[in-house]
Amino acid sequence: MDFQGLHDRLLAINAPGLVGTDEPRKPNPKDKKDKGRAGDPFVIVDAQQLVLFLEVCRDDDRLCFEQLIDITATDPSKDGADLWINVSLLSLKFRHRLQIKCLLPKSAAELPSTVRVYRASQWNERECAEMFGIKFVGHPDPRNILLPDDWLGFPLRKDYEFPKEYHGISCE
Amino acid sequence: MSERTPTISFGSAVPAGGGEVTIDIRTPDLEINFGPQHPATHGVMRILMRTDGELVTGAQPHLGYLHRCAEKIGENVEWLQYLPYTDRYDYLASMNNNLGYSLAVEALLGVEIPRRATLIRIICAELNRIGSHLVAFGTYGLDIGAFTPFLYTFREREWMMALFEKICGARLTYSYIRIGGVFNDAPPGWFEEVARFCDVFDVKWQEYVDLLLVNQIFVKRTANIGVISREMALDFALTGPMLRGSGVDWDLRRDMPYMCYGEIWRDGAYKIPVARGEMGALGDCWDRAWVRVQEMIESIKIVRWCLDHMVDGPVIGELPKTLKVPTGEVYVGIENPRGELGHYLVSDGGKVSVRTRVRGPMCTNHAVLEDILPGALVGDAIAIIGSTDIVVGETDR
Repeated sequence: MDFQGLHDRLLAINAPGLVGTDEPRKPNPKDKKDKGRAGDPFVIVDAQQLVLFLEVCRDDDRLCFEQLIDITATDPSKDGADLWINVSLLSLKFRHRLQIKCLLPKSAAELPSTVRVYRASQWNERECAEMFGIKFVGHPDPRNILLPDDWLGFPLRKDYEFPKEYHGISCE
Repeated sequence: MSERTPTISFGSAVPAGGGEVTIDIRTPDLEINFGPQHPATHGVMRILMRTDGELVTGAQPHLGYLHRCAEKIGENVEWLQYLPYTDRYDYLASMNNNLGYSLAVEALLGVEIPRRATLIRIICAELNRIGSHLVAFGTYGLDIGAFTPFLYTFREREWMMALFEKICGARLTYSYIRIGGVFNDAPPGWFEEVARFCDVFDVKWQEYVDLLLVNQIFVKRTANIGVISREMALDFALTGPMLRGSGVDWDLRRDMPYMCYGEIWRDGAYKIPVARGEMGALGDCWDRAWVRVQEMIESIKIVRWCLDHMVDGPVIGELPKTLKVPTGEVYVGIENPRGELGHYLVSDGGKVSVRTRVRGPMCTNHAVLEDILPGALVGDAIAIIGSTDIVVGETDR
């Protein structure tokens, strides 16, 4: 199924939390400032209902997304109010992919953990949590994964400041 | 004596060997650090194991010893400058990493890749896949006590690296596949030597099969150990040989073709080996090793196809000197030797990316260890970890 088909199916089964889509478009020739957008189409989903949405995606017999390939986050800008949660799903049966994006306010970066639906997100959520300061409520093992346990700050946020020293070792 | 033997329930922790070991004495739980500097971790990884005698009752991997901030670096250097960093995450398959990143950036740029460059890319990626599987298979034997096959596999890998040295000057971190094509054309006589390598490899490949793969000791050590069921493999999003080792017929090269893999498939040039559980339960360590060994010979077929269909022409497309990538977001996944290597890139139209996400196959594949190690014997734990084809540089990035 192509993206349009997937979106139609999601609308038809009334998938919980579906907000809209974000599709690539060509630049508008009349407006010089509009550069268009390249890349993949996305569906936009409410972050708090992501778990329910994924459950539907996994269990629906025409979508049949057996694998959660990736769950990660993006900090699009230093001054922006939102983080993005990016999820990539793959259906082996029907050979299609779905990219999901959720907006999550930086001031309350919390959402329910998706481990209940796909075990694959276990380590990726831990990485996401330590790098962006996002709390996955209900994660079975919320330790740091790549960073030391006592690391301060969230390195992949745009407002992160590089530490000057670590345990007395100068980093400058 | 038998009266004094306590009856103990181990819950899910049943020896993986299928009852060859009788447990009659309860020993207190002992926590053992497997690694960080254990030779079988092929890098620096630590697994905290809880053991009861010879039985592993719990395992908790600790990662991050090789974390080199690949994703943060991606936000700080220009698109072209990031390419050498991609070499470093899975250092056994650098060509494939270069390819994955280049394809992702090209998807945003929308550039056309010359046909000759595409074919050279496939040759390099497949040769690198062979090299990577040679290390995986050779060191797997080494891990569980077979020293000789390791020397044999490294002999062929040496030739493969010499081929890469001729084409790009480097032996391990190539940065050869660039955004828009490849760095330079192959030197005179290179394709002929690749063809010679293919002919010799066909013969040598049979040696690995005879020497190790069907060796009774190897089979005894790996069959029925570390079984990953089909459902588990899907739930944990395993990819690559670990997924096919569990009997799932899936390969991105065939099922979501990129470059001209679809064309090669339609020509019937290669097959996708999927494990059938020949030596024991489906999804055991032996099946994963079998898939890797079979994949090597399939890669040789793909290389031969590309050599036969080689065309003349340029090897790199026209690109501006300072690369500015259009605004947008893209996810591109390719079939790395270890599974799906995905790059999720976000661009705001500038010289530097907003987000460079690397979805490494190893990082996801390894999460399954927490589940399959408990219940194994300590000796089998090495066999299980080795069968995942561990490269910590990829896990930690």
